Amino acid sequence: MRYKILTVDDSKTVRIIVKKAFKTFDCEILEAANGVEGLASAAKENPDLILLDITMPVMDGVEMLTKLKSDPALKGIPVIMLTAEGGRDNVLKIAKIGVRDYIVKPFKEDVLVEKCGRIIDLKPLAEGPQKAKSIFDPATILIVEDKPAIIQQIQEGLKHTPWKIHGVNTTGEGIDFCSKNTPDLIIISLSLAEEAAFTLFRLIRQNVKTKYTPIFALVVKTEMVVQQQAQQVGFSYIVTKPIEVPELESKIAKAMNLDTSQRYFTLDGDVFIMRLPENTSQTVVGEVLNYLKPKISEAVDSGIVKAVIDLHELKGLNMAVIKLLIQAMQICKELALQFTLVGNSQIVSECRGFEDTRNWQFHDSLADAKASFTRTAAPPAAQTAVA
Amino acid sequence: MPTIDQISETVFRETISRAVQDVFKTMLGKTASLAQTADDSVINDASQMEHPVQITGQQVVGTVGFIGDISGLIYLYLDANFANELAGQMLGMSAAELEEAGDEVVNDAVGELTNMTVGTFKNQLADKGFPCKLTIPSILRGSNFSIEPISSATRRIYRFNIGTQQLVADLLMKTGEA
Repeated sequence: MRYKILTVDDSKTVRIIVKKAFKTFDCEILEAANGVEGLASAAKENPDLILLDITMPVMDGVEMLTKLKSDPALKGIPVIMLTAEGGRDNVLKIAKIGVRDYIVKPFKEDVLVEKCGRIIDLKPLAEGPQKAKSIFDPATILIVEDKPAIIQQIQEGLKHTPWKIHGVNTTGEGIDFCSKNTPDLIIISLSLAEEAAFTLFRLIRQNVKTKYTPIFALVVKTEMVVQQQAQQVGFSYIVTKPIEVPELESKIAKAMNLDTSQRYFTLDGDVFIMRLPENTSQTVVGEVLNYLKPKISEAVDSGIVKAVIDLHELKGLNMAVIKLLIQAMQICKELALQFTLVGNSQIVSECRGFEDTRNWQFHDSLADAKASFTRTAAPPAAQTAVA
Repeated sequence: MPTIDQISETVFRETISRAVQDVFKTMLGKTASLAQTADDSVINDASQMEHPVQITGQQVVGTVGFIGDISGLIYLYLDANFANELAGQMLGMSAAELEEAGDEVVNDAVGELTNMTVGTFKNQLADKGFPCKLTIPSILRGSNFSIEPISSATRRIYRFNIGTQQLVADLLMKTGEA
């Protein structure tokens, strides 16, 4: 549901600042220049929140608030005063009429958003301009961990990614970082002193900007009680130490909802290429399987008739990989996609050892595989025999 | 009940100073500092002074009043270019966008800055026992002019440096029995 916020202020400047403040959130800003317009808009649009100034021509904010609160249909709409009219007595008097919060101008946009976020469940816009979409987009990851060696290990392990890994040693630094930046993902070590990690988790969740940011917990594998606690609190994922970085990378990509398909599926001219990485773990197989059918169908839809299954980086075979490959070839056949294989000597020899893969024919390089399409104007799947 | 005479010059200076600093820091991230002047004392018959604000060039002047246990008004004088710069920053608009939007947008932004400044000023006084309400802002534009208040008003003029720019706050207060 898209929230509606009504800003009632005679100053266009304030209304523009309010709009600007909520630009990156999924909500609609309605405007009114005085109390009369405000009441009309409230009745017509039924906003989820009203930001109300006091000093306005035609009808001031106090009168509008009084009328609003005496109307059974409108009195439930939460109101935050946003006004230069402060002073203890004044604020108390108005608070009694029924307001949820009182912001005295001048105000910071962050504070405004934060206070509104306590009343309505503000969500950042999914289509935010800076949000990473694919595995090749830059993203910011914050690690809060008191052991620099762990931070270093993660930074080292993920240095091939476009992600900026920012490590801090204390929760204070973590909060400070979050107030100045909006990380795409946060990793908190549960080994921080006292219950600091859980306190930090709560603070991050309370902040509108990071309310939906994935937060991973970092914990020693054997500490089952703490792991359980982290799960109950709502950490997005539990990373266990010793850290397996490829696994972590894959979980990060999943948590950030990144499209990782380009890692395995690409187009080279008019040839569709499916490439398996050196270490095709169970997680990778799962990821590739998810994309398999949609990606191949997409290629066929766009007029592609040639495919290469590139295994030259792959270190070794196992049953999961073999099953994946058989499925890929099956889909290619069903969709009448002509395909061929590229492999290294290790893979070629391992294939001879399995019944299902014994007859697979490999090219030594991608260039050879591509050239083979032009040499043979063969019907689909004639180039390679599939068991 | 406290009376206006009990508010010392130091309190006026500190109150207006805090108001200007707070508004410029919060809304624009700018540091305003009160320039020390020799003629810092109150002018009791404000109508006697000729061009006391000492401005040059095109000005945008915002004014907001406060009415209650103490009454008066504050004029904020800004150089027209500075006013454009502040409006652009507050609204997130480029110089070209601002040009297209016209003076009205700049006037509104200066009006709001004045409203916030006078609000912060009078809220501090309200907490000291002088409750009062704000009026709606209005704007003056022009050059080579002088505002002449009635003779019963007291006038205090404060100059602030904001970066390389200047801002003048002209505080006029009604004296005696309101």
